[in-house]
Amino acid sequence: MVNLTLKFVSCCRAADLRISTAEVLDCVSQLSLVNPLEEDEFKLVLRSNFAKSRREQSRFDQMYHLFFHEMKSDLSQVSQSPETEQIKNFLDQLMENDTLDTLEKALADFLAGKPMAYIQEVHKIHTQEEQEARALKSNMSQLASRLQVMLKINQIKSKVLRFLGDNHAAVDEALKKKITGDLNDRLDHAMGLLNNEPRPDNYGLKEVKNHETHYNHIGEIPFASLGQEEIEEVRDVIRKLVKKLEEIATLRYSVSSRGVIDIKKTLRKSGKYLGVPMEIIFKDRPLRKGKIVALCDVSGSVWSTARFMLNILYSLQECFSKVKSYIFVSDLMDVTDFFKDHDVNNAVEKIMKDTHINYYAPTDYGMAFQHFKNRHIQELDKKTTLLIIGDARSNHMNPQDLVLKRMRERCRRVIWLNPEQEKFWGSGDSEMYTYKAHCHEVRPCGNLNQLIDFIEELIL
Amino acid sequence: MAGREGILGAYVERPAKHYNAAYGTFYDAIFFINSYGKAPMDFKSVLDVQERLEGVQYISSKEISTVVFLAQATKKPILVEGPAGVGKTELAKSVAKCLDREMIRMQCYEGLDESKALYEWEYAKQLLYTQMVKEKIHDVISETATLKEAVDQIADHEDAFFSERFIQTRPLLQAIRSEKPVVLLIDEVDKSDPEFEAFLLELLSDFQVSIPEIGTIKAVTHPFVVLTSNNYRDMSDALKRRCIHLYIDYPAIETEMHIVKMKLPGMDEALLARLVSMVARIRDLDLKKRPCISETLDWARSLMVLQIDELSAESVAQTLNTICKHKSDYEIVKKNILNVIKQG
Ligand SMILES: Nc1ncnc2c1ncn2[C@@H]1O[C@H](COP(=O)(O)OP(=O)(O)OP(=O)(O)O)[C@@H](O)[C@H]1O
Ligand SMILES: [Mg+2]
Repeated sequence: MVNLTLKFVSCCRAADLRISTAEVLDCVSQLSLVNPLEEDEFKLVLRSNFAKSRREQSRFDQMYHLFFHEMKSDLSQVSQSPETEQIKNFLDQLMENDTLDTLEKALADFLAGKPMAYIQEVHKIHTQEEQEARALKSNMSQLASRLQVMLKINQIKSKVLRFLGDNHAAVDEALKKKITGDLNDRLDHAMGLLNNEPRPDNYGLKEVKNHETHYNHIGEIPFASLGQEEIEEVRDVIRKLVKKLEEIATLRYSVSSRGVIDIKKTLRKSGKYLGVPMEIIFKDRPLRKGKIVALCDVSGSVWSTARFMLNILYSLQECFSKVKSYIFVSDLMDVTDFFKDHDVNNAVEKIMKDTHINYYAPTDYGMAFQHFKNRHIQELDKKTTLLIIGDARSNHMNPQDLVLKRMRERCRRVIWLNPEQEKFWGSGDSEMYTYKAHCHEVRPCGNLNQLIDFIEELIL
Repeated sequence: MAGREGILGAYVERPAKHYNAAYGTFYDAIFFINSYGKAPMDFKSVLDVQERLEGVQYISSKEISTVVFLAQATKKPILVEGPAGVGKTELAKSVAKCLDREMIRMQCYEGLDESKALYEWEYAKQLLYTQMVKEKIHDVISETATLKEAVDQIADHEDAFFSERFIQTRPLLQAIRSEKPVVLLIDEVDKSDPEFEAFLLELLSDFQVSIPEIGTIKAVTHPFVVLTSNNYRDMSDALKRRCIHLYIDYPAIETEMHIVKMKLPGMDEALLARLVSMVARIRDLDLKKRPCISETLDWARSLMVLQIDELSAESVAQTLNTICKHKSDYEIVKKNILNVIKQG
């Protein structure tokens, strides 16, 4: 039982489930408290120790099914039937060839019921990042690796046939069929693992679908279709909103706003001096929210949303401990300094005029995320909210959503604001459903009413 | 330990029995007999958990009972995840009832810090003490010859200033110091800050905490710990490693019927079945806030009060506000009403 569990753990680890030794020990000791021969109890003990969040459960279930059902690693099932004999012969023959590369070996092991190496290979492919900065852009490297595995799988399939063909004396037709069937099933399963990346069950995802009507006409016009006068009107509304929010925020903290003596802390310090308040401690205005890192897609129509978002974020800077902002199309650029040197509206105008970003390049979210991860990941910490403002239309480039997953692991929350209304999210080259799996919150944000809803929630 | 306890007990908000050592032993003896006689003992098996939880009106699945049993047997905290209102908090309360333990609840929020979770100095008392010291300081140093001696003398007394007698316990310290084991509910731990989470780690792994001015305080008894999370943010691996994980989903139709029947025994069976399956269908709609178990109960109650025994489009619309708290959700359900009320 312990051995079996350990083998299973190696598979899970190969599939990126982080399981510590302590957890393995816990699991083994708990197995002695239940009846491990009842599958639901056995599985439950494994799951509550190896998948410590709902997000990891789907991955766990996949591995559990593979290991204990597909692979029949269950020790009780070591029966000696004629086909297992033949399959063993075939595998021996396959392995004899010592020019096998790692992938072929992994596949042979997989057929023999030892899936770990293959899972590792597949995981490597799934998490493969595109090369940055190449003259000719392509998103083919992951596809190429996949193709290679598929070819190998087909090769083995034909080897099975050949083996059985050479062997007709020893094996009758029915048995042959059974063997081909068994091995092909297993190979199909290997193919399935390659092609179906499991998406985490993002049950905690907050999806905002409806919005309040704060303003009747102007509130509902998509940002991208605003005329010049309407833009001014929106700015006006934003100014008022910012003022209102600031007032609420200061009111809420008026008791503790800057300049007031913190009696408790002062007294506490005074203990050192036999009660004489030598050090006077003042209250800092508590910063409500941690840091904000905003990634803004500035291609095409998305910019019109991003600009208002930046406008609002920087107008409310005081409410956060820090605001950093980046813009991207396919390259990513830090624009935080614009807001240090200019007032908010000018800064927003200047970003469009003075940055060297290529606005006409095809948008590539995967690459932009990768740039961010490689150069700016240190900006993310457990007190940071990552805001992504974009339509997730990535021109069919490799979405590299696992990079987003890594970013999520570093920060407090990931919120995606999509200027498109929700019904368009799945259409065309939109990767919204891919990225959604790694967000804490997604919401359409393409007009003033939606923007107001979001900002009020963020601040209050 | 006993001496310390005495000091702490005398100054901290505690039941009166602790003001006098003699009383203390008297009461303790009674508690001892009590727990011996009634024997609200540990859970003996998964089935035992299930039955005893049902005894206190909590309907638990096999999964829930198993995890509770394992957690108790291995003295590990449970980390419970699940949508709002599926009974996460209720589970901790019910376990406390079964085990006849006190439940101490620690609600987490942004900005929660040790002084609110663990302990706080009692400033008023410290201030009084300071005054006293000022008056007495002459006596203390009257015997001393040199300035250095005087300073040393004062320093000896200074320690008393930050001693346990000036500590005001908050939930976590209370849970740790309790002589009788408690159930500690750390609710919505996902709302807390990372610093607080790090601090919880020490508590959950060794069941001890360090107070800089005093030293380490070790748990006298082992609390049964339940942490709940609504997935506002992801918890750290280190925290997860220390817990057994449990995900509670919306209950199956039969389970939810069971719950409602238990809490509202008078309800007509057929009506109840209709109601619960309608709630399940409403949960499948794209709502801001899905109705939870307590809203099913509210709905059932209002049907009983209004003596409605037929769930038609009109009667549903009329009572819908008990389960849809948002106007937009209300509209969505109304739009899908035919689908919601359809039979079978
Ligand atoms: N299994 C159950 N058996 C009996 N009653 C239940 C059960 N589950 C939930 N309830 C009822 O549902 C109510 C809500 O549960 P509770 O407050 O524990 O939910 P919660 O998961 O803690 O929600 P939140 O995430 O909002 O804190 C309880 O008061 C209880 O009446
Ligand atoms: Mg609760």
